[in-house]
Amino acid sequence: MKRDKKRINVRAYLYSLPMGIWVTLFFAIPIAIILIYSFLEKGLYGGVEWRASLAAYKAILNPNFLIVIWRTVYISVIATAICLLLSFPASYAMARSRHQTLFLFLIIIPFWTNSLIRVYAWINLLSTEGLINNVLIKLGIISEPIPMIYNLFSVILVLVYMYLPFAILPLFTAIDRFDFSLLDAARDLGCGRLRAIILVMFPAIRSGFFNALIFTLIPIFGAYTVPLLVGGMGSTMVGNIIVDQVQKTRNWPLASAFSVILTLISMIGVMAMLGSGKKKEEMNEKLL
Amino acid sequence: MRSYYKEKRSFSFSNLCLFFVLLFLFLPLIVVIVYSFNSGRAMVWQGFSLNWYRELFTSSVGLWKALWNSIIIAITSSITATILGTAASIGIKWYRFKGRTYITVATYLPMILPDVIIGISMLIFFSSVNLPLGMFTIYASHTTFNLPFTFLLVSSRLDEFDYSTIEAARDLGAREYDTMVRVVIPSIFPGILSAFLMALTMSIEDFVITFFVSGPGSTTLPLYVYSSIRYGVSPVINALSLILILLSMAIAFTFRRFLKSFAASA
Amino acid sequence: MEYKGEGAKGVAVEIRNITKSFGDFRALDDVSISIEKDEFFSLLGPSGCGKTTLLRIIAGFETPESGDITFDGNSILHLPPEKRECNMVFQNYALFPHLSARENIAFPLKLRKMNKDEIRRKVDHYIHLVELDGHEDKRPAQLSGGQRQRVAIARALVCEPSVLLLDEPLSALDAKLRQNLLVELDEIHDKVGITFIYVTHDQSEALSISDHIAVFNEGKVLQTGSPYEIYESPSTRFVASFIGDTNIFPCIVENSVYDNNLEEWLITVQIDELGSTVTVTDYDDIEIGRRLYFTIRPEKIRIVGGERKLGENSFSGFVDEPVYSGYQSKFFVKLDNCTFIKVLKGHTTYLDDGPEIEWKDRVSVSWRAVDGYLVKEEWSEKR
Repeated sequence: MKRDKKRINVRAYLYSLPMGIWVTLFFAIPIAIILIYSFLEKGLYGGVEWRASLAAYKAILNPNFLIVIWRTVYISVIATAICLLLSFPASYAMARSRHQTLFLFLIIIPFWTNSLIRVYAWINLLSTEGLINNVLIKLGIISEPIPMIYNLFSVILVLVYMYLPFAILPLFTAIDRFDFSLLDAARDLGCGRLRAIILVMFPAIRSGFFNALIFTLIPIFGAYTVPLLVGGMGSTMVGNIIVDQVQKTRNWPLASAFSVILTLISMIGVMAMLGSGKKKEEMNEKLL
Repeated sequence: MRSYYKEKRSFSFSNLCLFFVLLFLFLPLIVVIVYSFNSGRAMVWQGFSLNWYRELFTSSVGLWKALWNSIIIAITSSITATILGTAASIGIKWYRFKGRTYITVATYLPMILPDVIIGISMLIFFSSVNLPLGMFTIYASHTTFNLPFTFLLVSSRLDEFDYSTIEAARDLGAREYDTMVRVVIPSIFPGILSAFLMALTMSIEDFVITFFVSGPGSTTLPLYVYSSIRYGVSPVINALSLILILLSMAIAFTFRRFLKSFAASA
Repeated sequence: MEYKGEGAKGVAVEIRNITKSFGDFRALDDVSISIEKDEFFSLLGPSGCGKTTLLRIIAGFETPESGDITFDGNSILHLPPEKRECNMVFQNYALFPHLSARENIAFPLKLRKMNKDEIRRKVDHYIHLVELDGHEDKRPAQLSGGQRQRVAIARALVCEPSVLLLDEPLSALDAKLRQNLLVELDEIHDKVGITFIYVTHDQSEALSISDHIAVFNEGKVLQTGSPYEIYESPSTRFVASFIGDTNIFPCIVENSVYDNNLEEWLITVQIDELGSTVTVTDYDDIEIGRRLYFTIRPEKIRIVGGERKLGENSFSGFVDEPVYSGYQSKFFVKLDNCTFIKVLKGHTTYLDDGPEIEWKDRVSVSWRAVDGYLVKEEWSEKR
């Protein structure tokens, strides 16, 4: 690419600047605004007073909020763990199958149905007068409907349902790229089937695993719709608090402070995962 | 080499898991489809009927308006995001310049941030600059959350692109414009197309961000569904879902064939 | 134990009537081979001939439909790969990318819960054996192709298997390196003294390194024998043309007499393509009228400039295409009846004025009856 330097820069900006301006205007500036608002006082009827204050951050330390934060962490970890545990064997089976495209198609099809409609279907399935309770009562297995909805159980179940494909797709890609002759080699050298997978395959698909983790943990952590629609009083999450602060209490600084914290946690999480995933590769590259 | 594993052990723990995962993923869809043909409103089977389909096509003005809004926003925001994303990925993959890292990071960040935060930050931004909420604010927000995906998809396609073909084209007498139109765009076209389709899907699907930045008269389909779930559900939604599932499958199939023939001709 | 001549220590691996299909495709068709203890045995054939499938059956990655395989007389087919006393060197090495060379080699020993000092001692020994000293802490990605190959070999040897399986281990390397590694492989074989089963599609590799070779085509074993037997006495037309370069013509046996001087049968065959009869010797009497193939290796043909009668089996023609490659020249000679014949001429002396035979020169070619060979494969009129 031997071209004269000035021309390179003109072209580069011609191509990249439109997007650069767009993300600055509609993403960077809004994020900067909530960062600033989180350090201001709340206005009387919504909005903010331009006086610096840490009131919003202090308000977060309110035990009622801390409980919700703790619950959000707890729900996210459990739902993510279930997603990953289910998606590993499933994506392994997909990668080894002769019908990969068909299975990919089947995993993606539910995406094409509006997520709210799918949540609505779960409401129909789980509610006290819903399908599952109906069937169980008709079969005589239970006499009273089991409360399956508007609690932690339904929130975790539906979150797993929503984000399972996000765990399967990156894991599938990683396993599909994996050189299966390594498993043959491990078995040839004396491993059993399961041991070969643990010792040889797991290290090789690390990055796919981290992708799956990021793509499930972070959206679940910031979930709003699912706890709103299938959760109850005891299963609200941080996302719900933020929205309440904007829409009901009209406390913009507090909503902003929550958002800042959520953003920081997400970013730290991503950095940590990317860092631990990449460290070894980088070391190798440097040595080369 | 791998044929051995592919034919062996059709019944195994992992296959069993895959089966249950698929069952789990499809259970709600099956419920939606079956109950779209139910004659009653409740989750009790009251006999087959096409009532809800009739109602969908005759007396659901609000729903059709919402669908129309969704389509307009999906198409406009996907086109914008695809064009901006494609141009930027060319700029960022092939050139080194000041601000390159900033643009990359600012583009990818929305992908990893929870939707609620993007929605709230945009809502606060729009109200701070006194921009009335409506179709334009939805369009702007959808373009923003689509950009990381179009940028990512086109960039990964560009990684596979052999830069020496550009030099070859220039060597054979093509001007910069010709090279772009006749060499670069056609060879990254599959990436551009998949970016566009991805953006379209995500835009049609989005609820959370739209929820914050929509105003009166700009109800999209997910918002309509949301309000009908909250304020009394009508199984018309089920009927619409089946139609949308079939429609999107048809689109996917047509584009799949198109992609195949495109790959064959290239 | 059956005595099989000097150096034979009995059979190490016995392959009996193995058949394997993938769907409609028959990869192996009733294959039987016996491999002696401590020998270097090659499975040779073009790609898709079933040789790799056989190796993978021995290793335990595929299950045959019928037949049996024994190690030292005990059937191994019921054993999973990890329980078999053989280790494999994979075509693309299959090194574990997250482990260093040393850790790769130690992998099987750690599985066997050997103590640390023992592991260290053994790994060092094998690192030294394959001449990897100084590279033991590098990852596979940091090693060159040849070094990766050595790690793969050391890893397969470290458990001291009784049989080492090698699946085209040199195919990913460039020609020069391949030559060097081939010599080293031979040295390693001499040092460890176990049975090597080597799969390759490269006939020159197989010829130069093997004690015995089995030639495969389309799932069948066509011939098993020493490199010498395979090259000089090919049993089928395929073997004759796959191993080395040759001229091969269909022929009809016209006469067969015993020659007391040569102590062999002197056979006269009619070759339509040459428009002439040719004499060739054979250990056995051959029935008159049989339709067989006559083959003569290019290096066994004599070529001289001008038109001269050079005794038996002599033809004249033009040089159509001379290919000079330093130590030898290859000539495509167009005989007077328009048949082409390939001739090799080694340059063993200093060529002062360039090669004496050039393009379009008139030449005579000839060969001795003892240098030709009759391939005992029948042909039918249709071909």
